[in-house]
Amino acid sequence: MIRVAFDIGGTFTDFVLHDDGGGGSRVEVGAASYFLKVPSTPQDPGQAVMAGLESLFALAGIEAGMIDSVLHATTVATNAVLERKGAATGLITTEGFRDVLIIGRQKRYETYDLYIDKPEPLVPRRHIVEVVERIGFDGTVVTPLDEASADRAIDALRAAGLRTVAVSLLHAYANPAHERAIRARIQARAPELSVSLSSEVAPKIREYERTNTTVANAYIRPIVAHYISQLEDALRQQGFARELFVMQSSGGLVSPGIAKAYPVRIIESGPAAGVLMGGIVGKSEGREHVITFDMGGTTAKLGAVDGGTPAIMPTFEIDHVRYKKGSGLPINAPAVELLEIGAGGGSIARLEMGMITVGPDSAGADPGPICYGRGGTLATITDANVVLGYIDPTWFNAGTMELDKDAAARGIMEQIGEPLDLDLGAAAWGIHLVATMNMENALRIVSVEQGRDPRRYAMIAFGGAGPLHAARLARAVGIPSVIVPYGAGVGSAIGLLQAAPRIDVSTTRVMRLDQDSGPAIASLYSELEARARKDIEQFGVAAAPRWSRYGYMRYAGQGFEVQVDLPDGAIGDDFGARAITAFNEAYLKKHKFLDPEARIEAVDWTLVATLPSGHEDAPMARGPISTMASGLASDRSGRDSTRPAWFPEAGGYVETRIIDRQALAGDTEVTGPAIVEDPDSTTVVLPGDVARISAAGHLIIEVAQENRA
Amino acid sequence: MTERSSKASTGRSSETSVDPITLTVIWNTLMSIAEELGTTLRNTAFSEGVREGDDFATALFDSNGRLIAQGNFSPGHLGSMPACAKHAIEYFPAETLRPGDSILLNDSFMCSGHFPDCFQVMPVFLDGGLIGYVACSAHQVDMGGAAPGSQKVHGVTESFQEGLRILPVRFVRNGEIDEDILRLILGNVRMPDKVRGDLLAQHTANLSAASRLQQLFRDHGADTVAQAYDIILDRSELAMRTALAAVPAGTYSFEDYLDDYGPDTEPIKMAVDITFDGIGAVEVDFSRSSDAVPAAINSYINYTRAYAIFAIKVFCDALQPQTEGNMRPITVTAREGSFFNPRFPAPSGGRAVLQVRIFDAINGAIAQALPHRAMGAFSHWSNPNIGGIDDRTGRPFVMYDLSLAGYGGRQGKDGTEALSPVMNCSNIPVEVHETHNPIRVHRLEFIPDTGGAGKWRGGCGLRKDIELLNSTAVLSHLGDRHRFQPYGLFGGQPGALGETLLNPAGNAQPLHSKGMYDLKQGDIVSFRLSGAGGFGPVGERDPDAVAEDLTDGYISVAGAREDYGWEPGPD
Repeated sequence: MIRVAFDIGGTFTDFVLHDDGGGGSRVEVGAASYFLKVPSTPQDPGQAVMAGLESLFALAGIEAGMIDSVLHATTVATNAVLERKGAATGLITTEGFRDVLIIGRQKRYETYDLYIDKPEPLVPRRHIVEVVERIGFDGTVVTPLDEASADRAIDALRAAGLRTVAVSLLHAYANPAHERAIRARIQARAPELSVSLSSEVAPKIREYERTNTTVANAYIRPIVAHYISQLEDALRQQGFARELFVMQSSGGLVSPGIAKAYPVRIIESGPAAGVLMGGIVGKSEGREHVITFDMGGTTAKLGAVDGGTPAIMPTFEIDHVRYKKGSGLPINAPAVELLEIGAGGGSIARLEMGMITVGPDSAGADPGPICYGRGGTLATITDANVVLGYIDPTWFNAGTMELDKDAAARGIMEQIGEPLDLDLGAAAWGIHLVATMNMENALRIVSVEQGRDPRRYAMIAFGGAGPLHAARLARAVGIPSVIVPYGAGVGSAIGLLQAAPRIDVSTTRVMRLDQDSGPAIASLYSELEARARKDIEQFGVAAAPRWSRYGYMRYAGQGFEVQVDLPDGAIGDDFGARAITAFNEAYLKKHKFLDPEARIEAVDWTLVATLPSGHEDAPMARGPISTMASGLASDRSGRDSTRPAWFPEAGGYVETRIIDRQALAGDTEVTGPAIVEDPDSTTVVLPGDVARISAAGHLIIEVAQENRA
Repeated sequence: MTERSSKASTGRSSETSVDPITLTVIWNTLMSIAEELGTTLRNTAFSEGVREGDDFATALFDSNGRLIAQGNFSPGHLGSMPACAKHAIEYFPAETLRPGDSILLNDSFMCSGHFPDCFQVMPVFLDGGLIGYVACSAHQVDMGGAAPGSQKVHGVTESFQEGLRILPVRFVRNGEIDEDILRLILGNVRMPDKVRGDLLAQHTANLSAASRLQQLFRDHGADTVAQAYDIILDRSELAMRTALAAVPAGTYSFEDYLDDYGPDTEPIKMAVDITFDGIGAVEVDFSRSSDAVPAAINSYINYTRAYAIFAIKVFCDALQPQTEGNMRPITVTAREGSFFNPRFPAPSGGRAVLQVRIFDAINGAIAQALPHRAMGAFSHWSNPNIGGIDDRTGRPFVMYDLSLAGYGGRQGKDGTEALSPVMNCSNIPVEVHETHNPIRVHRLEFIPDTGGAGKWRGGCGLRKDIELLNSTAVLSHLGDRHRFQPYGLFGGQPGALGETLLNPAGNAQPLHSKGMYDLKQGDIVSFRLSGAGGFGPVGERDPDAVAEDLTDGYISVAGAREDYGWEPGPD
């Protein structure tokens, strides 16, 4: 079987072609993989895809028609929101509630700043219209839908020239009848309008979050639908005849049809693939619990895999201001748990009150760090890493770019060293250390605050700067081992290969949980299953789904729910008691205490159907990593095998071994200080820690016992 | 991480002992502990005020009770923390404290000005020695007294009617909560389950912060940390002094009026005189304001100080980490016995309504010194409670609500619509309210033409109509700006007055902004918040902005004509 995965990122589009050696295979024995990295074409993402596919097929010696499936992760949905490039959208809502979307939740993301702006809603007030209707919290119809008011609303939006409409009525999660009736009116009166219903897109309690999610869906729907259709056409023209799958934010695949109807589900497509890759790499090393650490030029992203399963959150935010929680638009759709902070190679270092601060603002790639020599004048993390000897200025991105170490040193001395009366190494180290602390704070939120014991986790480090910072970060919070995956540079695409088709459906049903809750839970889950099966039909996969259930529950009176992994199997009369036990476990894990006197209240319920793809446990074959970037230097002869690098525990600069990752093999172990280089990343091994290459080809660093926090 | 720079620092006598990198590490860690304490508390709390409104605060103190770090939570609690810790330590001097102790208090004078705010101050020990204190506060859903929520204003004439007053007590001993004290508290409050849950949540949050503080001392040693503390306080003081010195020297005064303190009462004068000395200190004096009033709305000095410091920070130095150091150059005073510095037992349960007004008053004065930072007055929020016995369950319910509307216009932009002013709260979703309480919300929408006109328009007022579905209930209303409009600045017009109407489609009876009313099934209360003040001359508003506002319905055709002289074009 031959499968192709590709992930379109901001800078590069990554490809993996995997041939498992089975039926229809080109390989006689075993499996083969081909990796490819090409520059993205943001104006027309499909261009890079087509160019990349052609090269990839040439590399592997196959034709499109031989491919069994194509798996895709994309940022097209995210970018449409971030750049406000979606379609002009209308919103139909309940009379009296026109301003729910604009009011939002009203809290400032910065308490001491009264000059901030709220996130710009995706629909202006002029395109929000009301209908006469009302449904109660229990789903009863308080005021029947006045169809004449619906017709007026539809005509108004049509007259405004809109093509896509969200319908979000109060309590529609409890009774979708009015939303459906409005859709029927729209289809009759204005069939050209694309319609997104809150009761289908995000049927959960809390009107602002549900409305915003539905509006976001409507807003990006035309652009995503157009993009996916184009991609399908292009693949067909190349001779590809089988199914295309798209990665969702939840780490599961969906059919193009569902992605086009519910594009909010694919907003975090790329990062989800990255976390999935972390899980796969962890598994291949026998690690069920991993924290993924993806550090690039602008931000660092942290995710988690618990017991082999990527951590999924029921909601997330998009379009943050300075990565502040609460500053973005909330999306009620399951997504990998991801914490993003403004710490990347380009993050800028400054002095404030005699202390070093780093980020969240970034010099990005243009002008970039001082050492890029493209006009950047502000000292960044990358500048510090060059000065510290961690990055070889002659071997950045496999030698495609020469870095100006002297300029970086001058900038750091002027901006940090001289004002603080520190010498160069100490000043650069200060920047590196503060950046690490910022990430450590984020990592604490992902680990300790979520009830994850760092000592049981491995850190999977990837992205351009991840492997460089990983060991220091792991030490700070007590993570005992770091894994830098083989092919870290195309990591997300690898994640796609082992993803399975997945459908998440959820609903709100507020109930007090007790011994007798079984039948009520059974009834709501049979409704959810019926909904899921409708979506599953679209896959055309015969295999029986694996069902997982999650409840979102709290003590009655609290405002935040914990995610509870509910038991599998039939829901019998004892299910209430089993759900209570599951709640207690989840609550204790997260909050470290239980309140046996408090009553438990369940709010939201989710059902996840996963369709076995048969590839979940497929071993990842190693293969050549190619790039279409010009000028790739692969000849590394004549480079130093040692250079001075800064390790404070060793007293400052010490002559440090530089090891070519390709050369590390077999049973070779390296004890730090050492720096391991490969074409797309640099890994720093701290003094006393031990690095080796595993059988699967991953670089493993075991943090020395005495160095663990 | 105890890394040292490779080169000893020189100069600056008091600071030579801690290198800049270690200092950075220690300060960052302190702020991270204070933040994490707050997120833990928020995630486990029961009261709406805590979890939706961030109505709580966290703080770390050194062993002498000096404030070293705080999380960015409620300004009112934050600014009260230093005084609160000092009172707790007065009652329990360091030598009387043992590991595993924690002190609880809620006194209005000692803490943040009303009983629902419970503070827990926990001494932290390492190797038998006291290394400091961690503390957090939380607005409890009820502390007993005359009305649900313990914030009834009118008819409450002394503190003893407001519920349970807790002078500092050893709430936790040897790591065990004192069940006797807990029973005494829970026997005096409505909704004891929630209060119990929140008191426990506070304790749990303090414990996790204490263990991180111990780790910090282990990593760096007590001497280094103590030296870092001195530097942190000195530097934050210097930073605040530098910011204050940049304000032109002089005394700036402003007067405004709170509508009243209940039906048939007189307005309360809110007068402030702010003196910047030009070299780094400021004095904020509320002495010319009215005397304390016989209603539960007086602002104890801690509360006055907290919001005055908040305002000064917003204008001068908003984003610096808050420590005792940057509070040092700010003196806040008010004549003893006045509205802003009452004597015990002046009642104060409803003082939350003042926070916007303390800010507004200071803003009005500072506009003369820093016109580019000032803004038109806020739309005044409302904070009503509707409570009773739920017919369906026979159990008490309290619908605690927050309605928040627009900001005033300011240099360069219109006032933001519908954003939490001063205090930092989330609203409570309509669907959540309706699920938990026997009420139905009929409207939640902007009121056109209420924002003060100006070159930069003030934000709109907000209308929220709530119907009672229960047989009966009591409304404790808490709002303002029904008589005195939110002012505009530099030619900007004031925002429209607010009003509250009972049964707007029927006889539309006006309700007093601080009254208490019996409601019956089917009654609809229509809360209509004032608009926010405009900024700059009306005639200078960009005609395109007027047209845009019209298209979006923030102003009506009549309003556009009246306020801006707008005439419809040929289309």
